Amino acid sequence: MTLLVGCLVLLVVAVVLLGLFRDLLYSALALAAASVLLSVVLFQFGANIAAVFELSVCAGLITVLFVSTVSLTKDSDQGVESRLPARFLLPMLVVFAAVAYGGSHWLASYLTAPAPPVGAPASFAEAFWGQRGTDVLGQVAIILAGVLGVLAVFRAKLAGGHHD
Amino acid sequence: MTEAVLGLFFAGFLVFLVGVYLLLSYRNLLRLVLGVEVLAKGVTLVLLGAGAHLGMTTLIQSLIVTFIIVETILAAVMLAIIVVCHRTNLSLDVRMLSRLRG
Repeated sequence: MTLLVGCLVLLVVAVVLLGLFRDLLYSALALAAASVLLSVVLFQFGANIAAVFELSVCAGLITVLFVSTVSLTKDSDQGVESRLPARFLLPMLVVFAAVAYGGSHWLASYLTAPAPPVGAPASFAEAFWGQRGTDVLGQVAIILAGVLGVLAVFRAKLAGGHHD
Repeated sequence: MTEAVLGLFFAGFLVFLVGVYLLLSYRNLLRLVLGVEVLAKGVTLVLLGAGAHLGMTTLIQSLIVTFIIVETILAAVMLAIIVVCHRTNLSLDVRMLSRLRG
C-alpha cells in the first residue's frame, strides 16, 4: 500500500513537472518517468502484460520518438509559450485535487460490483484472444492505418519537394 | 471499495485534469502531444481502478493493452505531422496551422 501511494504521488509530481519544465527534453524524461511509475502500479495490481507494454512502448518507444522529433524540429518557440504564473500553480492544483476527489467518489459510487460472470477469463491469453479477439483485428487495422498515415505524410512532402 | 482503488481513481482524475490544462494552456505542438500522453496516463489509471474494483483485472488488462497500442500509433502520427508542419511553417505554434486551410 505504501509503495502504491508513493508511486501515485510521484506519478502526479512527474506529470506536474512535465508541464513546468521549459526544456522539452526534460519534459520528455518526466513523461518517461511517469510511464515507469505507471507500469509499477500496473505490476502491483497483477496486470503484468499491460505493465510490460507500458514500460517498453510508452516509456521507451514514445520517448525515443519524442526526442527524435525535438531534435528534428529544433524548436524555437519556447520563449513565446503562454504560461500560467507560478503563483497560480498551488491554487490550481488544489482546485484540480478537489475536482478529482469529487470525481473519484462519484465514480466509486457509480460502479457497483457485479456478480462474477460465469465465463470470467482465467488468464490474460484467454481474455485477449478469446473474449476480445475483435480488438486484435482493430489493433492491426489501427497499426496499418498509422503506418500508412506516416508514409502518406512524408510522401506528400517528398512529392511537393520534387515539384519545387 | 478499497482505499487502493479510490487512490487510483483520484490519481487518474488528477492526472487527467493536468493533461487538460496542458492542452488548453500551451501553443507548442510538441507540448500538446505531451498533454495527450498525460491524458492517456490518467485514463489508464481510471481503467485499472475500474477493473480492480469490479474484479476483472484480466479483462481490463487486455483493454489497457489495446489502449496503449492506440495511444502509441496516435503519438507516432501526431509527431510525423508535427515534423512536416515544422518544415512547412518553420514554427511549432498551433495557430500557424490555420495556414493549412485550403
